[in-house]
Amino acid sequence: MNASTRSSLPLWPAIRPIAGPLLGLLLVLGLFWFLEPDAFLSARNLRTVSVQTVIVGLGAIGMTFVIASGGIDLSIGSVIALASVVAAAVAKAGYDPMLCAMAGVATGAVCGLVNGLVIARLGVIPFIATLGMMGVARGVAKWLASEQKIDAPAGWLENLMSKAEDYRILGLPQAVWLTLLLAILLGLVLRHTVLGSHTLAIGSNEDTARLCGVRVGRTKIWIYVLCGIFGGLAGVMTFGRLTVGDPTTAIGEELDVIAAVVIGGASLAGGEGRIAGSILGALLMAFLANGCNLTGVPNYVQEILIGVIIVAAVAVDRYRHRTMEA
Amino acid sequence: MIPRSLLPLALLFGSLALTACGSGDAEGGSSEEAKYELAVIPKGTSHEFWKSVHSGARKAEMELPVSITWMGPSKEDDRIAQIEVVDNFISKGVDGIVISPLDDTALVPVLKEAKAEGIPVVVVDSGVNWDGYESFVATDNRQGGVVAARHLAELIGGEGKVMMMRYFEGSASTSKREIGFLDTIRDEFPKVEVVSGNQFGGATSDECYQTAENLLINHQEIDGIFCACEPTTFGMLRALQDSDRAGKVRFVGFDATDKLLEGLRAGEIDGLVLQDPFRMGELAVQRMVEHLEGKPVDKFVDTGVTVATQENVDTEAIRALWNVDFDKWLK
Repeated sequence: MNASTRSSLPLWPAIRPIAGPLLGLLLVLGLFWFLEPDAFLSARNLRTVSVQTVIVGLGAIGMTFVIASGGIDLSIGSVIALASVVAAAVAKAGYDPMLCAMAGVATGAVCGLVNGLVIARLGVIPFIATLGMMGVARGVAKWLASEQKIDAPAGWLENLMSKAEDYRILGLPQAVWLTLLLAILLGLVLRHTVLGSHTLAIGSNEDTARLCGVRVGRTKIWIYVLCGIFGGLAGVMTFGRLTVGDPTTAIGEELDVIAAVVIGGASLAGGEGRIAGSILGALLMAFLANGCNLTGVPNYVQEILIGVIIVAAVAVDRYRHRTMEA
Repeated sequence: MIPRSLLPLALLFGSLALTACGSGDAEGGSSEEAKYELAVIPKGTSHEFWKSVHSGARKAEMELPVSITWMGPSKEDDRIAQIEVVDNFISKGVDGIVISPLDDTALVPVLKEAKAEGIPVVVVDSGVNWDGYESFVATDNRQGGVVAARHLAELIGGEGKVMMMRYFEGSASTSKREIGFLDTIRDEFPKVEVVSGNQFGGATSDECYQTAENLLINHQEIDGIFCACEPTTFGMLRALQDSDRAGKVRFVGFDATDKLLEGLRAGEIDGLVLQDPFRMGELAVQRMVEHLEGKPVDKFVDTGVTVATQENVDTEAIRALWNVDFDKWLK
């Protein structure tokens, strides 16, 4: 019946899978635009929120793969902290910012590799394996930093996250463009490559995937390495933002990242997930925090709202599934 | 089918709108002709210390042509979260920012940005490695540690073993107190030995409690303990009570809450170094308004420290430091 009217909308097939988070985001935008018409949708504020989305957004790109495969990575907050500390330590030793960035990303990749090996080869469930890494990476970060923050020159890494006019490209900070570019790239990887389809296949039904010839163990290792790489990159951006390597940063950040992915429509049961949705989820949370600040809403209201939104997003998603199956 | 399924989400945001409006009105300017709009950004919102600062800021708000928005970082000790709050208020275009920075370095770029956007900054309680602020209103923290060291050393008769539990990595104000304490013990009391002075309690009372338990197990033979802030003092007090050593070890802490004052009156704590957070909040907002009105302001304003003991805790002068009437100021 009205299916035909919907399919006649030209963009609907592309928008449909992310309609939930998109609508949620538009509601948040509309609401705060109404409450704070001058400041909220100003170019400056949009820039501010875009930078505030970078760290969670990068984490969410990697996490989407993990969650789509039916796994979880609780270590990403600690990995962000460890990577930021490593990057700062390398900078303090006097090396080039590019080398700092590579060291940070490599740190993340190693953490991810260990996660993947423990999960795929030792058969430890992801929740436990990454819970362990959460402690290990946090501890190593504090150890490396001698339980202090590391003051180091961030060089042009600082400029990546800067909103200053000199460092912007087309009005947005460089890190925002980098995040968008990687989101598009990894969105294509998830939809159109062997790694992506195997990820979704494992998430849908691991046994079936194995019977169909998917090398489940090896694919899982790659997925966690990928998530680690994005955690490492988020850590490098954290270093750029803070200009210090802080072993206590990003505590609880894994939950923000997971929330972004879940609001974005991924299922914790696996088999589903979209990078675009996850980025929208990250944007939604950043706009909500920003809007609450601008309107002077206390933080506890914001925490309650984000909690409600996560549950509502999943409930709506479940409802959609039931009605589609019926 | 699809639009209908999204209805709950719409309802949710409808209710959010109501919440937001309600809170916005309650928070907004109580002074009649608010000429200036200030953001006051503490390190956190749940410690009583910050509620006292908030109360002082409210007092200034009621007396001056200014309205304040009190907004802490969404996570108590998260530097990035605090940077984001500052960022958001720059976006909003407030007239001034009063902040207690969680980090002396990490907040510098965003505070510079505020200044570049023409928003003056007053720093309160904790310092920052940048001199672009208009005024720094704080306890002389090092002096707080010095006073504590002298008090504790006197209590144990100038000799013995003492221990100090630190707060968390990179907390500037508490580091200064800790250094002031250690320096004074070293320079003035050669017979006092510091058996542990490098362990960090953690950012929350809960983490401090656990660290304190571990420290007490490791150090059975100690005469005195110093903790340089409220969460560490509270964590240590609880751990002392649990291990049945409260009152048996001389214990000097920092700041005052009901629980700590109870401990002081019960003889479980032998001294609390008190700051004047109410005055900090009040003076910080006053200085900002003076600056906005074009008057010159002092670059550093010391709000002083006092040691409260079992004997003097309920005298009028000391009471004024810890008995801030939150109900009156914060409703």
